[in-house]
Amino acid sequence: MFNIISKIKYAYIFSGTLTVLSLLALLIWGLKFDIDFTGGTRMQIQYVDAVPANQEVENDLKDLGLKSLIIQPSGNNQMLIRYASEDDTINQEVFQKISEKYPGATQLRVDYINASVSQELKSKSLWAIVYAVIGIMAYIAWAFRKVSRPVESWKYGAGAVIALVHDVLITTGVFSLLGHFYAVEVGVPFIAALLTILGFSVHDTIVVYDRTRENLIRSSGKEKFPEIVNKSLNETLVRSINTSLTVIITLLAIYIFGGESIKFFSLALLVGVTFGTYSSIFVASALLVSIYNWQSKK
Amino acid sequence: MTIREKLKIKFALVILLALIAGLISYPQITAKIPVVNNILNRPKINLGLDLQGGIHMEYKADTSKVDSGKVTEAMQAVQDVISRRVNAFGVAEPVVYATKSGSENRLIVELAGVKDIESAKKMIQETPFLEFKEEGEPDHSKDIPQDVLDKYNAEAKAKAQGILQKALAGEDFAQLAKDNSEDPGSKENGGDLGFAKSGMFVPEFDKVLFEGNLKDGEIYPQLVETQYGWHIIKKIEQRGEGDSLEVHGAHILIMKKSNDTQNAEPTFVSTGLTGKNLKSASVTFQSQGLSEPQVSLKFDDEGTKLFADITKKNLGKQVAIYLDGQVISAPTVQSEITSGEAVITGKFTIDQAKELVKRLNEGALPVPITLVGQQSVEASLGQISLEKSLKAGIIGLVLVIIFMLLYYRFLGLIASVALLIYTGIMVSLFKLSGFTPWSITLTLPGIAGFVLSIGMAVDANILIFERTKEEVRRGRKILAAVDEGFKRAWTSIRDGNASSIITALILIEFGTGFVKGFAVTLVIGVLVSMFTAVMITKTILNFILGDWIENKLWLIGAKKKDV
Repeated sequence: MFNIISKIKYAYIFSGTLTVLSLLALLIWGLKFDIDFTGGTRMQIQYVDAVPANQEVENDLKDLGLKSLIIQPSGNNQMLIRYASEDDTINQEVFQKISEKYPGATQLRVDYINASVSQELKSKSLWAIVYAVIGIMAYIAWAFRKVSRPVESWKYGAGAVIALVHDVLITTGVFSLLGHFYAVEVGVPFIAALLTILGFSVHDTIVVYDRTRENLIRSSGKEKFPEIVNKSLNETLVRSINTSLTVIITLLAIYIFGGESIKFFSLALLVGVTFGTYSSIFVASALLVSIYNWQSKK
Repeated sequence: MTIREKLKIKFALVILLALIAGLISYPQITAKIPVVNNILNRPKINLGLDLQGGIHMEYKADTSKVDSGKVTEAMQAVQDVISRRVNAFGVAEPVVYATKSGSENRLIVELAGVKDIESAKKMIQETPFLEFKEEGEPDHSKDIPQDVLDKYNAEAKAKAQGILQKALAGEDFAQLAKDNSEDPGSKENGGDLGFAKSGMFVPEFDKVLFEGNLKDGEIYPQLVETQYGWHIIKKIEQRGEGDSLEVHGAHILIMKKSNDTQNAEPTFVSTGLTGKNLKSASVTFQSQGLSEPQVSLKFDDEGTKLFADITKKNLGKQVAIYLDGQVISAPTVQSEITSGEAVITGKFTIDQAKELVKRLNEGALPVPITLVGQQSVEASLGQISLEKSLKAGIIGLVLVIIFMLLYYRFLGLIASVALLIYTGIMVSLFKLSGFTPWSITLTLPGIAGFVLSIGMAVDANILIFERTKEEVRRGRKILAAVDEGFKRAWTSIRDGNASSIITALILIEFGTGFVKGFAVTLVIGVLVSMFTAVMITKTILNFILGDWIENKLWLIGAKKKDV
């Protein structure tokens, strides 16, 4: 049996550092929002021959006075063009300019989001996160309503929520970093990934807590609470790792083979699931013990 | 019934379910039995626009000018009009529906497999535009400047002169005509015009041919200028006398250019009378019986007055009726019309007339709409996405199975069988949902959710197996250990999955395309996997396991410990 609980300190230092770094990254760099949240147009153009130089396309489009224009080639004679757009007519003009200059060019994909829709997506995303957090907390409180000795059920809930905030913060921090250095943007799919991480992280934590609950009921009272938690952690360790492994395997398959458009969605899930597994072992349960120790000292 | 008999029935049911799911998800296996294959091929997975290519458009309706009580009605009308326009576009199964987003009214239009996105958008948003125009000043804007014309004509004349010299020098006239003549009617025959009587040609031409004193086979030694250009004329032969004299001639024509104002199309200018002044349109016939159909228009009060003014002002002149910028009829006004009624007599077929009347009556949308969001994916890109994500799914599935086999050995094999059944059931559900009102549309994120659910589906099995191994280590008999494993793991499975379901349901409620597609497959996946991992695995294990395995515990990767 590993004495995981005795290593709490290191876990706290590790998690604390990562959380603080993530918060700092978010405060300094923030997230790079994509058109889902800023509004605008993203156009993927397929050229017949080689892709023209960015500068050249920029010149072609100069007359249109596009704001925050970003042009990047994307392999296979394709090019991504992004710009702020107020209405749809500008999209037609942009493509007209391109197809006049480069005959045969086609629009592989066009996403256009008007400012009013992006505002709405923003508020919807926020509400979805709020509802998810409330829903998860209510669920945890309900699931652990019967455990109250020696740590009350709401404290399990608090532990689970802290672990969950930890997972979500670190995932967001990673994307703040990616956004700053690799111009990776976050949109609605990222929010979907965060919510899925919420569900998964709690799922993992609940399995560990469940075992603690079971062992508590079984224990004759001879064992101390930290020992029971440690035992439960050990008993569920293989399961936690194996479950996460199978999920990580499938996510890696999507990340590597699934194509460009769901790449960063699966990456967000990968980061979140990995930290979710870690936190259900080293954060959620550790917190229970810390709470217990703190209570006994009083 | 003994327990064993019950178990046999359960096991048979599992086999049956596996067979059905397998056949529905992979009907190719029955390719040699056409009857069965035909039935099994009927259910199809409903692919999202991002996988089959298509365009999703979101319009905002400006209902600020509509009474608040009538907004729903107006939105229904918009939806109907757009539906009709889209249907006319010939897209398979277009989707058009009105929806609300906060306080805004929205209209969603989805067209699958549309190649020309721009014209589709035009079709949706543009009202058929009917306009009455009256004659205006001839249009000189397109005239070619005189100096350009002169230069062009001088070059043409020089060219003609050159050809004349060649012809006179004895080069083959027919070949010269073939190579150079700009008279499309005679060029290919070597300029041959056949026998003709005097008066058949323009006077200058006629004069040379009939009064030029040419011998048979002789070429007129000068260029002849007519309104068409410059001619090189050859007389081949003649027959008859007097009034019945016919000359067989040939010519080479080099055309000239001019601004021929007399033959120009009359230009029309707007009168201010348009389709918005229309009260109704209907198909009528010129006389009783099935004669040529025409479209009768009835104007509103303002339109009646305008139309009366126009007809009064343009007596004896043409008034043109334009539809979407094209002239469809330009009758000459015979008298002032004050009744507010007009008739369009194009050369309509009955269907065309009906279509036009329908479009005119649909008229403008009751509320204006603007495009606020659009996602379009070209079909080839959709195909690539589909192939890539399916490949990712298969690789993920195979890797999970390999992992389970390596780690849990025999139990892993059973879990893998359950996982395959799970995959079959999911694919079958996607296919069969098309026959229910709850049709599932599979999108790219949906496939991602499905693949993710494969990884999560084995979670329940892992929980159960770990528990079973623990119980074996504690000294239980294998069947009892399996039983205990299922019993004890169940609460964890239930509680754990509940949290995933809660967040997925919130995602579905959240509702945009990407998120919804992902969350729906995830929820279904979690629910189905609970069933397969618990019910199916348990049945198979109970059926197969027995005392025989007590001495082969390595098969399940566990060692018995002395307790």
